[in-house]
Amino acid sequence: MSVGDLLQYLVTGLLVGGVYALMSIGLGLIFGVMRVVNFAQGDFMMLGMYLTYFLATGYGVDPLLGAVVIIPPFFLLGLGVHRALLVRVTGGGDPQRLMDAQLILTLGLSLIITNATTMLLTPMPRGIKTAYATQAFVVGPVLLNQARSYAFLMALLLAGAVYLFLTRTDLGKALRAAADEPEAAGYQGIDVRAMHGLAFGIGIALVAAAGGLLATYHPIEPTVAVNFIVLMFVAVVVGGLGSIPGAFAGGLMIGLVQSLTLLVLPFQLQNVGVFIAFLLVLYLRPQGLFGQRLRAV
Amino acid sequence: MKSVLTVRRRITVALALTLVALVAAPTLLVPKMAPAAEELKIALVVPLSGRWARQGQLKKMGAEMAIAEINAQGGIKALGGAKIVLREADAGDSVEKAVSAAQRALSREKISAGIGSWLSSFTLGVTEVAERLEVPWFTLSYADNITERGFKYTFQSSPVSSVQAEQALELLVEIAKRNNAPLKKAAIVGDNTAATVFFFKPLREKLLKAKGIEIVVDEVWTPPLADATAIVQKLRATQPDIMFYGATNFPDSIQVLQKIKEFGVKTPIQGVGAWLVTPEYVKAVGPELLDNIKTVVAAHPLKGQDELVKRFKERTGEPFMTQDPLMSYAHVWIIKEAAERAKSTDPKAIREAVSKLDLTSGPAASTLTPGRIRYDERGRRIGAAPIIVQWQKGEPFTVAPTELATRTLVWQTK
Repeated sequence: MSVGDLLQYLVTGLLVGGVYALMSIGLGLIFGVMRVVNFAQGDFMMLGMYLTYFLATGYGVDPLLGAVVIIPPFFLLGLGVHRALLVRVTGGGDPQRLMDAQLILTLGLSLIITNATTMLLTPMPRGIKTAYATQAFVVGPVLLNQARSYAFLMALLLAGAVYLFLTRTDLGKALRAAADEPEAAGYQGIDVRAMHGLAFGIGIALVAAAGGLLATYHPIEPTVAVNFIVLMFVAVVVGGLGSIPGAFAGGLMIGLVQSLTLLVLPFQLQNVGVFIAFLLVLYLRPQGLFGQRLRAV
Repeated sequence: MKSVLTVRRRITVALALTLVALVAAPTLLVPKMAPAAEELKIALVVPLSGRWARQGQLKKMGAEMAIAEINAQGGIKALGGAKIVLREADAGDSVEKAVSAAQRALSREKISAGIGSWLSSFTLGVTEVAERLEVPWFTLSYADNITERGFKYTFQSSPVSSVQAEQALELLVEIAKRNNAPLKKAAIVGDNTAATVFFFKPLREKLLKAKGIEIVVDEVWTPPLADATAIVQKLRATQPDIMFYGATNFPDSIQVLQKIKEFGVKTPIQGVGAWLVTPEYVKAVGPELLDNIKTVVAAHPLKGQDELVKRFKERTGEPFMTQDPLMSYAHVWIIKEAAERAKSTDPKAIREAVSKLDLTSGPAASTLTPGRIRYDERGRRIGAAPIIVQWQKGEPFTVAPTELATRTLVWQTK
């Protein structure tokens, strides 16, 4: 194994991880603010892929641009889903019962979205043909796939924008206040319910954008979410439940571990590496990489 | 007062009539829905949801086409023109779902025969149900062990994986020699689903060694594949003369092909299975990337089948016909012929008829090579031989065996 090969594995892992990271911060944000485990997150990503696909094939919109264009409609969709459904199972009441209702709701939503898409758009896989999916930037001995490099950069930009929004704007601060201490936030005049809607809207928009970026090199089918949803959850837990930088780091870590696992384990055990890393993090740092210890003994 | 009463009376009469109509409606409909004993029911248990749904859909198209043709020609003559009806069940995306779908389909009503379930892993489970309920079951799945369990009701129409591996390798070595490009180094790249495993096993264990071919890359993954870089990096480093390729999951396969192009690897690709020749490949990666890629399949349109392919394309709007619809088309015709001979819709009688069947003409025989339908005592189709298909300008054509080919094979060199 040469240094060049090792570098290639590292770079590949980072590039793959970039899109995982963007997928995961949406999920992390929703959990952080609303304490809702959204099983339908992957399905919104799939819808994002389809919308990007139709924009690309119908209107000639480049998928990299498409991934940004779809953010507003998916934000509105997220708001709508929150207003129509999630608001009934969040905010007040017996937490255990709410949790059950949330799980059933988001799982049900996931099933409905997958199957409705299968019915409407048929199970036939589709793909956006882009020149950059099969071209690479050559940097010394390392090849950087162009589609993945662009997707990685866009993911960084979007994640950075979300981070700035959360830390530098009043609305972002209100969102964090609603996440950290909903009751006190309410006393301060923050509409916690509206903040939940906002978080869900942003979370859905981000995962849809990640889907759009993924669509530049990954085929689209109604069941595409199953390949990613588990990784998203692992990223969020590894990063620290509810932490946005944590979810981002978790996503990057999964990409790296998947790639570097191949140095020591056969291909069939690629995801075993991910889960070993997951268990190690849980064992050594149960609150996750960026999480805060809530109940120290 | 009187008028009020009349109104009430009228309402009562109207309500009573509505009630009678509602009660009577189903009885009026029933005879139309089920003219008992006049239909032969075939169960089609294939994935109609989940990641293999497209293959299930293609199989359904083939079966429906055969049924439409048979029924238009007057149904099963020995049964007084009995019509064939299809009962489809969704095998979903797991063996458990496939098995329970088969269980439900076969126990709900009398089914004369069944077809399914595309993925060998599913077929292994589904045929156990069929065996227990004594319903003859037809499959295109490749895995050897489907017909190694002593089952009486399983009929496997494809050549099994190990036979495909052996015969395809013979063909390839010979073609390579003819083109002055002998095979010395091979790569084995694919997932670990049953049909692929059984194809790769003999290659890895004995066949390649016997031909003096060295295995330089051997990478097997569990779908889904996160990234293909590591595999293609190895291909680039070792430059094999041929790559045996078995990626049944579409996104995995696309990733590998894209990466091969990105890394500029020129190794000729030899796929194993019909998953590599579905129309969506053209849409996803374009015809240029596919050009010259070959794959081994159990059925593909042969010389002289233009009429059949034309009918299929007109009926379904698909750009070309492949193994999956061809096989289910043939299976329905085989069941029809068996029912003619059995003169019964009883599954046991049909099983007996199938085991004695020897068809040398008609739609079933002419659809599959070698133009004859017979099954041995294990349920394997006698003489079933693999076909090599090659992508040429965005369409897959039969290129070997030469006498059945619709195009000449283009030998790609590194």
